[in-house]
Amino acid sequence: MITITDLEKYYATEEVRTIALNKLSFKVKEGEFVAVMGPSGCGKSTLLNILGLLDDPDGGSFVFNGIEVAGFNERKRADLRKHNIGFVFQSFNLIDELTVFENVELPLIYTGVKPAERKVRVDAVLEKMQIMHRRKHFPQQLSGGQQQRVAVARAVVNNPKLILADEPTGNLDSSNGNEVMDLLTELNEAGTTIIMVTHSEHDAKYSHRIIRMLDGQKVTENVLAEFKSV
Amino acid sequence: MIRNYFKIAWRSLFADKKYAFMNIAGLAVGMAAAVLIALWIVDELSFDRSYSTTDRLYQVYSKDSFDGKSNIWGRTPGPLVSALKSDFPEVEDAVRFAEDTELLSVGDKRLNTKGAITDSGFLKVFGVASISGNAATALTNPSGIVITQSLSKKIFGNTDALGKTIRINNKFDREITAIIPDFPSNSRFHKTEFLLPFEYWLQAWGSGMTESWTANNFITYVLLKPNMDLEMLNNKIQNTIRSHTSSSSDPVQTQIMLHPASKWRLYSKSENGQLIGGEITNVWRMGRIAIFILLIACINFMNLSTARSGKRAKEVGIRKVVGGSRKSLVFQFLGESVLLSFISGAIAFALAFIFLPSFNLLVGKSLYFSYDNPSFWLIAFSFILLTGLLAGSYPAFFLSSFKPIKVLKSGFKLSKNAFNPRKLLVVSQFAIAILLIICTVIIKQQTLFAKERDLGFDENNLLYVTLNDELKGNYEIIKKELIAKNLATSVTKTLSPISKIQSDRWGFSWEGSSESDKKQDFIYLSSDADFIKTSGVKLVDGRDIDIYNYKSDSTALLLNEKAVKVMGLKNPIGAIIRDDDKQMHVVGVVKDFIMGSPYEPVQPLMIEGPSAWFGYVNMRLNPLNATADNLKQIEAIFKEHNPLFPFEYSFTDQQYELKFKGEQTMGALASIFSGLTIFIACLGLFALAAYTTETRRKEIGIRKVLGAPVLLIATLLSKDFLKLVGIAFVIAAPIAYFVMNNWLENYQYRISIEWWVFAVVGLSAILIALITVSFQAIKAAIANPVKSLRTE
Repeated sequence: MITITDLEKYYATEEVRTIALNKLSFKVKEGEFVAVMGPSGCGKSTLLNILGLLDDPDGGSFVFNGIEVAGFNERKRADLRKHNIGFVFQSFNLIDELTVFENVELPLIYTGVKPAERKVRVDAVLEKMQIMHRRKHFPQQLSGGQQQRVAVARAVVNNPKLILADEPTGNLDSSNGNEVMDLLTELNEAGTTIIMVTHSEHDAKYSHRIIRMLDGQKVTENVLAEFKSV
Repeated sequence: MIRNYFKIAWRSLFADKKYAFMNIAGLAVGMAAAVLIALWIVDELSFDRSYSTTDRLYQVYSKDSFDGKSNIWGRTPGPLVSALKSDFPEVEDAVRFAEDTELLSVGDKRLNTKGAITDSGFLKVFGVASISGNAATALTNPSGIVITQSLSKKIFGNTDALGKTIRINNKFDREITAIIPDFPSNSRFHKTEFLLPFEYWLQAWGSGMTESWTANNFITYVLLKPNMDLEMLNNKIQNTIRSHTSSSSDPVQTQIMLHPASKWRLYSKSENGQLIGGEITNVWRMGRIAIFILLIACINFMNLSTARSGKRAKEVGIRKVVGGSRKSLVFQFLGESVLLSFISGAIAFALAFIFLPSFNLLVGKSLYFSYDNPSFWLIAFSFILLTGLLAGSYPAFFLSSFKPIKVLKSGFKLSKNAFNPRKLLVVSQFAIAILLIICTVIIKQQTLFAKERDLGFDENNLLYVTLNDELKGNYEIIKKELIAKNLATSVTKTLSPISKIQSDRWGFSWEGSSESDKKQDFIYLSSDADFIKTSGVKLVDGRDIDIYNYKSDSTALLLNEKAVKVMGLKNPIGAIIRDDDKQMHVVGVVKDFIMGSPYEPVQPLMIEGPSAWFGYVNMRLNPLNATADNLKQIEAIFKEHNPLFPFEYSFTDQQYELKFKGEQTMGALASIFSGLTIFIACLGLFALAAYTTETRRKEIGIRKVLGAPVLLIATLLSKDFLKLVGIAFVIAAPIAYFVMNNWLENYQYRISIEWWVFAVVGLSAILIALITVSFQAIKAAIANPVKSLRTE
């Protein structure tokens, strides 16, 4: 599903050029659950941004679903992104002024789904995430775990092929964290590809494969479970 | 999607009430001011455009040069009308027009009324339809009169006035041949309440003035046939007067030209033989103020919106991540500003509605909102929409440009560029505000300066009435009684009120005068006796005119000092001054006093004895009596001896006050609008202060952790803003100096612009800015640094 080859990304300020990704290459198959680990500053987040089509690589190739997307302009990336990718962030990133229902509804609005269908789909996903009873609440009225469940609901409401999770349990206590990890596993078992950046060895164990990075390069790869292509 | 935007807009409005209030307040106040000014401008632009014939209507102007100086004026000789009609087929019709004030009486009702004497075609030329009576023939009846609806109401109440008789000036009976609607307030004929056929002029004053090609007594209005080329026609008609006087030995050289109705109000100022400017200058001036205020309000809005960008950045990031395009975000933010603009617009119209009566009072108009006119709603709607788009444009593009990875991952960081558009906005706001305030102060200074100028006579307690036919006969009885009953201390007849120039003359010669002295112009006044005692003017030399004690005083003269100076008289008393065959002798010299404009130097003046014409009776009221009592008793005396005319009087000081009306109105408008500008600008500054404090939260936190005291931090934050206001001042001050210097050029008697005005305004602006900013700065400085550092 994803093939990156010699991916490069630099950050330049006036005097210093920092290499965030240094000729990084790997593949992710459809339906796989991959964890990316490494110390702060190793380029994990940069990688995730590029995989999520939020950022453009400075060099190398990125083939998504058979299409070369490196060099896409922002509009094309946004278009591809909204139909194929869901995001889960450490800090949840819900819009404070919108209710639970409205937050989850947002991606459907941008992909042009009709209101009646939106309602059905949002309700279904909220039900699945067991947050239905909070649908009219605002994010500040929820616990961290609940907020992250809403964020996951928002990430999956569009039935994306790929979910990118950036330290999804980083702001949660362990029981809430486990709950979210169970959710992700469930989604993965239902066929969604997941790439997760994490610091937690515990969380990484939910995945099929761990890619360890240092200084923008892949250092090792541990296969935890055998993954059979769907 | 729109519902979603609307929801967000609405909720973020309530989530941050302080910002919402400042946003809406600033915009509403700015829009309200702009709306009021727009009403004023629309009214000015609509003047004399409501006649059904407007696009074919012209006033004839005369042009000639004297002493090499070109002149242009709006009056024309009497015979011109028939010449135009017979010589030029392009002319559909033309009429003479002369303003006239007459005493109209029906039974016991007596009204001094303003109206006009005109030719029979007037109603057709101006496309006036009658309410009753036949408009086509109403003025062809030589003993008819046409009156307006409101005059008919005043005299006859609700009964039908058509066919009834009105007596004019106690002499002539006229039959009402038509009743016409009142002329609207944006017509030059607004105060005209009756129209008399031209035969009235001939009957009342004879035909002398109407046949002369050199006496310019009439306004001539011309109605052209459709689709005429004005320039070509102007070339064709310019020498009409000369061609009709070519048979005489001295053909009249005065040229004529047509001035279109659409320009009557706006372009009426004659300068160097051309009609340039006039009211249009005020229209531009007001328009600029309106645009300034609206712009400041919009800038404010931009500042406030971008100041909140930290709060909106996360939302922008999320929306982009879940699939929102930049375009959809631009629309969202524009939609928000349009929503705010509609809320502000509704408040603005409510404010404008509330303040409209006071504004009307101030500008002397009766402006109103035409709710029943669909185009009013359309214009209001587009105005609000455009304001919203303008105000929202910058924030929309600014906010929508945020990169999601930056704002979501590392938290929102505002740039601290050297060139910051928001700083530019604040500088321009304050520059405009400072400019307006300096102008206001100087306008006020100038008005005060002229007002405090010594008039040279005592304008208080000085009353005057018009010398009507009946009063002419009973003047001496009334004068005696007024003095005997201690109501007035002194009474004099004059040609014009003492604070009003109504006549000037030239063509005099005296011992030692040259031929060119004949072109020396003198203001002309007259008196029977007691002029000095009544007016309070100081006598410098000789004595007052007194026809009752000196028989020869019929041709006596008083000169003012300026006249003595320009005439070069060494011993003015006893000097003989000739006016053609007439010989006059100087009996006294008075100190210069202001009859005309308080802004101009005193002109040479002659006051002639009773051989001249009289128009007014002036009374110095007895200061020992209460004015109301005095007036009551004076009225009783006039009722007894002057029963045919209503007792209508004016106070000289009140009339003099009117001369400042233009400047006072302008001064008041300037102070109101500059006050609003500084108010809105301060809201903007407040926003920028909030914005900057937000960008520097981390810096402030670190400084505090390292031990910086609150005061130092507050100063650090305030300093930058004061710099901005300083820059604004540096930009505004020279512009203000230039603009005001130009304005003062209009006045001969004027103040000089002083540096301290600039200093005071500049310092006040800085002080106001400091108060506004320090509020935010202190808040930021006393905040707990742990909070601001933890979010990193």
